[in-house]
Amino acid sequence: MNEFLQQFLIESRELADAASSGLLALEQSPHDAERLAEVFRALHTLKGGAGVVEFFAMERAVHAAEEVLTEARMGKHPLTTERVGHCLTCLDQVLAWLDTIERSEALPDTAASEADQIVRRFEGDRALSAPDSSSSTERAPAAWVTGLLKGHHAVAPRALTAVRFVPSADCLHQGADPVAGMMSLPDLLALDFSAHLPWGPLESLDPFSCNLILMALCAAPVADLQKHLRGQSGECEVVAIPAAIHDFESSLPPQVTAVIKAQQALLGEECSQGFAGRVASAGLVAANALRSCGRLELSQRVSRAAEQSLLALSARPLEEALAQLLTEKPSLAIAAPDELAQASDLAARTFRVDAEQVDALVRLAGELTVVNNAFGHVVKLAQLGDPSLPDVLKERHEILQRLVGQLQRSVLRMRVRPLRAVLQRFPRVVREMSATLDKSVKLVIEGEETEADKAIVEMLFEPLVHLVRNAIDHGIESEKDRIAAGKAPIGTLRIEARRRADQVLIEVDDDGAGIDPARIREAAVARRLRTDEQLLAMTETETFDLIFAPGFSTVTQVTQVSGRGVGMDAVRSAVERIGGQVSITSAVGRGTRVTLSLPFSVMMTHLMTVEAGSQMFGLPLEAIIETTRVPQAAISKVGGASVVVLRNRTLPLIDLAGVLGVQAVREDGDGATVVVAAANGEWGAFQVDRIVERLDLMVKPLEGLLVGTPGIVGTTLLGDGRVLLVLDVAEMLQ
Amino acid sequence: MTVQSAANGDIKLIGACPGEDAEPLLQHLLAAPGATVDWRDCHGVHTAVIQVLIAARPTLLGPPADARLRNWVEPVIARTPR
Repeated sequence: MNEFLQQFLIESRELADAASSGLLALEQSPHDAERLAEVFRALHTLKGGAGVVEFFAMERAVHAAEEVLTEARMGKHPLTTERVGHCLTCLDQVLAWLDTIERSEALPDTAASEADQIVRRFEGDRALSAPDSSSSTERAPAAWVTGLLKGHHAVAPRALTAVRFVPSADCLHQGADPVAGMMSLPDLLALDFSAHLPWGPLESLDPFSCNLILMALCAAPVADLQKHLRGQSGECEVVAIPAAIHDFESSLPPQVTAVIKAQQALLGEECSQGFAGRVASAGLVAANALRSCGRLELSQRVSRAAEQSLLALSARPLEEALAQLLTEKPSLAIAAPDELAQASDLAARTFRVDAEQVDALVRLAGELTVVNNAFGHVVKLAQLGDPSLPDVLKERHEILQRLVGQLQRSVLRMRVRPLRAVLQRFPRVVREMSATLDKSVKLVIEGEETEADKAIVEMLFEPLVHLVRNAIDHGIESEKDRIAAGKAPIGTLRIEARRRADQVLIEVDDDGAGIDPARIREAAVARRLRTDEQLLAMTETETFDLIFAPGFSTVTQVTQVSGRGVGMDAVRSAVERIGGQVSITSAVGRGTRVTLSLPFSVMMTHLMTVEAGSQMFGLPLEAIIETTRVPQAAISKVGGASVVVLRNRTLPLIDLAGVLGVQAVREDGDGATVVVAAANGEWGAFQVDRIVERLDLMVKPLEGLLVGTPGIVGTTLLGDGRVLLVLDVAEMLQ
Repeated sequence: MTVQSAANGDIKLIGACPGEDAEPLLQHLLAAPGATVDWRDCHGVHTAVIQVLIAARPTLLGPPADARLRNWVEPVIARTPR
């Protein structure tokens, strides 16, 4: 992509974001002249940019929105909620176009008709009720389109256009041959025809009275097909298939599909033994594969199906769930379009960096070159066997260490972004959710300027949407209930971000109905997550913590906004994936607060490396309390497990080699080397063969199919090129 | 004439069947309701003929000689319930 277009994309996204947040503010205070001017300028610049790069459809759509602002500025027509809504829709469309442009460097073929729709929206709602029959491209595709895609799911992913043609009854008398016409459509992928009206008895059939509905899927754009079908007598609809329909299909990568198929084969094997093992492992692998490509909802569905299979002692539920994944493609995406969640993929692939930071990097690069040249000199000294070599090497190493440290800090600094990037999207999210759920909610955002690593800022949107959804849907009561409870009629939802030492805290706080611990206990028993006895022994904090258990939901009714089975466990897993924690407190009648504590940076981790069974493993230093040797006498067996008594404290002893399935290499008899660690309040001692060293490394989270491997948080490379697995202490201590 | 009645009672569609073939095909099918239609030597069918095939839904002996019929028409008729 050329630089010019890249710049256009960056600027347009910024302008669209600025205009959106400005519009939302204007909705609250429509007479804020300064804000009005600001939004107007943003739209005007956006329009101008689109014109320069010759994206005329976009120019036209933005112009319509700009007009609304002009009218508002001149006092001709106030900025109503409805008008703000139209402007926001227009900006949504612009963002969708920008995504397409980023992929294909051009506006989609449907852009012109999409722009028409936007313009019509502004002209009034009258046009919406009578869409243009020849090129209607509504957001929700017509039932016949979805039916056609479903019926031809093998070719559906390639389909760009759907055609529905009802030839006039007398067309055959006029010499037309509509079926032949359809067969010669360009890039035909699928053809279907059926009776328009029931045929009736064969004796009274008139073969020349056309009674067919013809439908086709093509890989050609709308305009080509319209040209081809021009002059046919009858009703003809040519519809561009929205890209969203394909999202589901295209987001299941081939390797994931292959993995799912392999699990089907495993389940299908005739084998009398190991049923539970096979079901559990097939379920786990399929769920992990889905999670690896970001399909959390599907992953959880598979996990649940596996559980059902295990309970019912039949592979059936899991088999059906897997089969559904591979077949029921297009309809799924249509049935639950979650535009808000999809919008989260706008994670900036390009971002702006302060020129000063770049200068600092250039300076560092220069200094590193100098050190590099100096090493050439060191090599020569080494070849000559110069006795001063160790001293020179040490000196150079120190310089190098200092520079690399600086480099790391500068790069880290560069990745730091304000949370505003994600939080500013919430006024919009809350506006839409509260409208859908018919609740009155005031959103207060504090600490937008708090900074965090780019990776964290980018992953935050999804968990926060879940939390906000829960708060609005289940937390905040209806206006009537609130008044009855003596509360302010409008609920308040607060999102607050702040920095605390090495962590970023984000609180999502509502003043709604709160959560009753008794209901959590009931639900936990009903879902067989815990027994009554276990629940009695739990503290209130532990009880609230159950909300994060997979498959937990106290709401039985599924609403459009929440309760689709993706719940708080998704929030926890997303947060834990980047090394954060989540906790919840609630008071009945007063509200709920969820706190996310996230690391400031995901890049550097202090690690201790240990050896177990001649393999090296990393343990995060933050979890380690101490390392020591304990005499054999301090170790005792309790049932099948070992415990060690250390400083009058009894700790479970985990033999790392044993747990990880590697052969331990150590002399018996004289005690054990242990690493005492703690996470989430759980203490434990890991028995290792040897403690190696302390390192500061960049840990990469697991990728691809390995995502979610239990007990491992990530990997990093050691100096000698070996891969170091970094263990998840919290999970191992559970 | 591209619609023929074979010795075994089958109806054969031969070559490219124009719209005019629809009427004789319908008459054949009305005269012999259980007859099989053999379209292995068929190279094309007009929409009117297709309408008769869909409405009467006889047993079809295929596949037809023409690729477009095999790809686009045969599967649709096969899907049509009798």
